[in-house]
Amino acid sequence: MKRILLLRGAELIVFALLATIPLLVVSPYALGLLTLLAIYGILLIGLDVTVGYLGQVNLGHVAFLGLGAYTAGLAVTKLGLGMAPALLAAMAVGLLLGGLLALPALRLEGPQFALATLSFAALSTTALNELEGLTGGAQGLSLDRPPVFGHALTPPLFYWLCMALLAVVWMLMRNLLASQWGRAFEALRDSPIATDAMGVGTYRHKVAAFALGSGLGGLAGGLYAFNFEYLQPHSFTYDLMIILLLGVVLGGRKSLWGAFVGASVIVLLPNLLSNRLLFQIFSGLGFAMALASGLRGLVKKTTRPFQALAPVAAMGMLVVGGLLVENTEDWRKAIFALMLFSVVVGLPEGIMGFLALFLAKLFRVPHAPLPEPADLDAVLPARAADGSPLLVLDDLKRHFGGVKAVDGLSMTVRSGSIHGLIGPNGSGKSTVVNVISGLYTPSGGTIRLRGAGLPSGSLLRVAQSGVARTFQNLQLFGELTALENVLVALKGVYRSSLPRVLFGLARAEERRAQAEALALLDLIGLKDQALARAKDLTYGAQRFLEIARALARKPDLLILDEPAAGLAHPDVLQQIDIIKRVHQRGITIILIEHHMDVVSELCDTVTVLDGGRIIAEGTPEEVKRHPKVVEAYLGQPPQTDISGGAAPLPA
Amino acid sequence: MLAAIKPLQPIGAKEDTMFRQTVHGFLLLAALGLQAGDTVKLAITGPFTGGSAPMGASTRDGAKLAIAEINAAGGIQVGARKMKIEIIERDDEAKNERGALIAQELASMGELAGVIGTVNTGVCMAGDKHLQEKGITKIICPAAGSASMTQWSKAGVKDLSIFRFAAHDGIQAAMVVEEAINRGFTKVAVVFDSTNYGVSGRDDMLDQIKKQGNKLTVVAQEKFNIGDKDMTAQLLRAKSTGAQAILIWGIGPELAAVSNGMAKIGMKVPLIGGWTLSMSNFIDNAGKNGNGTLMPQTFIEEPITPRAKSFIEGYHQAFKVGRIPSPVAAAQGYDAVYIFAAAVKQAGSTDTHKIKEALEDLKEPVKGVIATWNRPFTKWDPANVETHEAFRREQTVMGMVQDGRVVFGNPADKARLIKAAAGTAPAKPAAAKPAAKAKTK
Amino acid sequence: MDPSIIGQMAVSGALMGLVYALIAYGFQLTYATSKSINFGQGELVMVSAFFSLTLTNLGLPYWLMVPGGLLFGALMGLVVERAGVRLALEQKGEGWILLTIIIGLFFFSAAENIWGRDDRPFPTPISADPIHVLGVDVTRLELSVAVGVFAIMGLVELFKRRTLLGKAFEAVSADRDAAELMGISATRTVMLSYGLSGSVAALAGILVSPITTVGPTMASALILKAFAVAVVAGLDSGFGVVLIGMFLGALESLASFYLGSGWREAPGLVLLILALALRPTGVFGKATIRKV
Repeated sequence: MKRILLLRGAELIVFALLATIPLLVVSPYALGLLTLLAIYGILLIGLDVTVGYLGQVNLGHVAFLGLGAYTAGLAVTKLGLGMAPALLAAMAVGLLLGGLLALPALRLEGPQFALATLSFAALSTTALNELEGLTGGAQGLSLDRPPVFGHALTPPLFYWLCMALLAVVWMLMRNLLASQWGRAFEALRDSPIATDAMGVGTYRHKVAAFALGSGLGGLAGGLYAFNFEYLQPHSFTYDLMIILLLGVVLGGRKSLWGAFVGASVIVLLPNLLSNRLLFQIFSGLGFAMALASGLRGLVKKTTRPFQALAPVAAMGMLVVGGLLVENTEDWRKAIFALMLFSVVVGLPEGIMGFLALFLAKLFRVPHAPLPEPADLDAVLPARAADGSPLLVLDDLKRHFGGVKAVDGLSMTVRSGSIHGLIGPNGSGKSTVVNVISGLYTPSGGTIRLRGAGLPSGSLLRVAQSGVARTFQNLQLFGELTALENVLVALKGVYRSSLPRVLFGLARAEERRAQAEALALLDLIGLKDQALARAKDLTYGAQRFLEIARALARKPDLLILDEPAAGLAHPDVLQQIDIIKRVHQRGITIILIEHHMDVVSELCDTVTVLDGGRIIAEGTPEEVKRHPKVVEAYLGQPPQTDISGGAAPLPA
Repeated sequence: MLAAIKPLQPIGAKEDTMFRQTVHGFLLLAALGLQAGDTVKLAITGPFTGGSAPMGASTRDGAKLAIAEINAAGGIQVGARKMKIEIIERDDEAKNERGALIAQELASMGELAGVIGTVNTGVCMAGDKHLQEKGITKIICPAAGSASMTQWSKAGVKDLSIFRFAAHDGIQAAMVVEEAINRGFTKVAVVFDSTNYGVSGRDDMLDQIKKQGNKLTVVAQEKFNIGDKDMTAQLLRAKSTGAQAILIWGIGPELAAVSNGMAKIGMKVPLIGGWTLSMSNFIDNAGKNGNGTLMPQTFIEEPITPRAKSFIEGYHQAFKVGRIPSPVAAAQGYDAVYIFAAAVKQAGSTDTHKIKEALEDLKEPVKGVIATWNRPFTKWDPANVETHEAFRREQTVMGMVQDGRVVFGNPADKARLIKAAAGTAPAKPAAAKPAAKAKTK
Repeated sequence: MDPSIIGQMAVSGALMGLVYALIAYGFQLTYATSKSINFGQGELVMVSAFFSLTLTNLGLPYWLMVPGGLLFGALMGLVVERAGVRLALEQKGEGWILLTIIIGLFFFSAAENIWGRDDRPFPTPISADPIHVLGVDVTRLELSVAVGVFAIMGLVELFKRRTLLGKAFEAVSADRDAAELMGISATRTVMLSYGLSGSVAALAGILVSPITTVGPTMASALILKAFAVAVVAGLDSGFGVVLIGMFLGALESLASFYLGSGWREAPGLVLLILALALRPTGVFGKATIRKV
């Protein structure tokens, strides 16, 4: 309760303070700044969805501000709409175009995504400027704030409107981002492949996240139009984009408070820069902060020397520059750059990320209590293992150019069994797994699950058909906690519609999901570390967590891709124990493994691959003695012509 | 949270600058408007950084020169006492949002006597309404497109506190068209940049061609963007239509790109356009290709009158330059301050409303460096924008680029100005050197 | 329309396109070794051009100024690598995107204040008078761009193939981990690539400045197109950038001729988005296989 009180209390106090300001202050300038703060607040919350949650550098957000502004402006001037429909239209245009842009931008990561959004922004400025008949082009578009219910909106009234909208957006986004949606956005950032393989569509969520962020950009644009009442295309360019990024990064990614702090910085920065003494005070404070955190990092050895020293150097330049330079405004961009640089390098979590940790310690804010784990029997009901064929591969082929990684493989996995798949390096094991799980499209042959064809070439649809997998090279969602990793994959609990989620009416469901996830963590012995971030877990624990996450899919067939790879001996024993317990619940398992003792201990049937073909099949004991297997593993000169040494294949 | 009343930087009362800066810095929300004093507070705004900085900064520096002279002479006679001018300087970065915020800030300052500045039309469109709302006197200087004034007549405003001190595009366009007709051309290409400034310039020129009897045929209309370096496409189209002259409206280096592009494709026709063709970033970059380019000017950096001589020398000395970045902007900034000071004196008050009324009916002529201003403004009439426009055709001359400088394009203009200056009492040389340092190189 | 005009437009555009190609080539160099590119490369072009201008103003003859400018470009490239890229690569993150943008911003502001905001002419001994070739006007200056572009690209390729250092470069490009195992320092190779890339940017600045003038914003239009060329051709396409660069330059020139000059930027941007959507590895890029 203390946590809720503190968090909600802080929000309430800030918004209540902001709401009373027009009653206290008569200065239109201050009110203008605060109105802008609210507008930029909404804009930055939108930008944070892509930059923070999706983890992509989005250089196109400014275009949605512009498009939203022009939509609202045109809705009022050309169509004579009122304020509410104009704002809705602005938001709708943002949502729609955001979704459209996300379609081609979908397959892109990192630099390509940044470039695509950058081009979009440049293109939309060009369009706004050139479509003179519609937008008035460079001449700009003048509009008047339409009255609401017959009342002209005075500056204080308009300010209240903006603040109220910020509060609503804040509340809805808080609910959304804390829900399965927000987790999916983050999962997408950390591992798109695993997100798909866990049955959470990357496609859908990426488009949704981008459209959502852009919709908020459009809404902010609408408010921007009614605030300034005059629009020009060149207001929405790269320069402003850089400032918006500054806001998000400085304030802190993945944080509503961060967006708020960022918006405050953006709004107040010009004033800060125009006052020399104030600038010196702030740069001095920044320097002291960088020095303190840098030294702390160095002493505790939590940061690299560069990470500790570079921000100190940058802030030092700011201090010295502030003393030398006559007009700080001339150096505005350099000052932005130095501030941003220090934050990106030294304080990756931003001001709010840093403060949040600090405040949490100060007020001893506990994490919200977790529910009791659910009954495992309810989460993973034991299923009948009748030995009927579950997965049937028939003449499966996968070629990469001339390389035949899998070359006519036929194999049957029986319900309730643990089916081992072994072979020397490059024998095609991993390719088989990748083809079954949908990462690769087969070049030929069929895969049938329970007699029905398994979708091919789609991780997502395979996952949704009841096949779950783990990854040889861990694909955990590193920034999420162990609990959240399992929650992302959890099947069958989240049923609430989006509006219910937005209005915070899906809490009961969330508790139920947590209880189920905890039960799964309990199964692998990680219940006590439920709140640790996945990337902070030990290597062994990360391997176990992969299994718990796959189990959250409640699969019929579980594919374990080298679950014991790299594990120390005690961990191997624990892993064997975990797999046995999973097997006891009637889940069919395909096990790819190098450790022969693990295979012997667990498997009912073993298939041995070499050169993309089966060279032996049988019980572990039979297979071990099989001459071809011995030869393939020990590499004796071939007495008979079997494969002659496989070409290196994609793992 | 900062009031950020950035006081005058170097001129006049410097002692308590730091202290005042601090106080204002920390007391925003409540303290706005508390400032009392015995100075005339004059805000100077404009783009001092970014692309249009040469104009904004030159205006500011010209204005500072005038203020330094006035303050050195003891200040303005306001009623019974003399008051010095205090500058409040704001950089609008040529951004509309900044312009709007600065206007809001200025509008909420108590005791602000007036505002001089702005280059960009968009900044006027976004910001001036806040000043007009509070009735704060503003003199737009040195530029801004026609829309900055016509917006008020369109809105049918009855009482306007915004004045413009710039050779408005109407006059300039008329001169450009007239020049082309006088030179016997019949087919011209109109080339303009894609900003508000360029597009309204195009409209003004097309309008003037119609008004002056459609003697010119526009054979091509070509647009270019800020930052464009290669104008081959536009020029080839103009060339292929047989244009005999290029009438151009734009700002800065792109104009030079046009001039250089014409040389490249061997298009030897004159370039005639707005006053921005006199800026150093055109002249330097066009080099010899710029020779012969014609543009209307309100001021030419030639010491043909004593007043002009003292202004040019004063500017060079104070800001340590050998050539004024934008002589037109500097001279207009300088004269605008003198006109404003005369209005304060006549009003006998620092009240911005009274200053506005005085500006609309200045009794005494004001001797400026561009001209002697006789009743430059009159009572606002929404049907006639010229009531709040100071410049007429006779204050504007045709300038021509020659070997890196702007000279009189028409010797008759030069003679006329020398004669006009001789007819009045010789101006006193500037008394004081302002302490301001050069902002522009 | 007169075919000679179309020819003129295409040639003039294609020559400009070579500059895009050169900058795009700079992206390739760093992408090969580190899978990263400098988003502030345009600012590198600009500061190097300004620095070369200063050298010229100090009285250095053109042919001594050029190596000076290239050296400065290399140095700035190294600064970008050290301050903006290395940490992010060590953390295997994409922080370099933001950091290189930030460093570019700093360069921009520094140039604005050190060299001024105005565009300035860049003196060159090469004549700007047009010569008439096959019905098309070109200047020697434009031809010098072509010569310079091919010369440096040839030199860099020769360096990569013929020297030990160059072979290390190729090894790291092919397989970073394997190269490390063979005792080649990947970090140093990445430094090398950023230095080379900086020199290439500096040359682009020196070549293009006499045509476009030098100013803080001189590269902002160039860089967007260089991005487009690099992506459309593919970030590992080698000389593919030359073809795409010339194609895009000509296309853009023709588009501004036929569609109206306001739309000049549009074809490059549309092509870039299309290429990213349809073939993220580029026209000449190698398709990669997703591995887990």
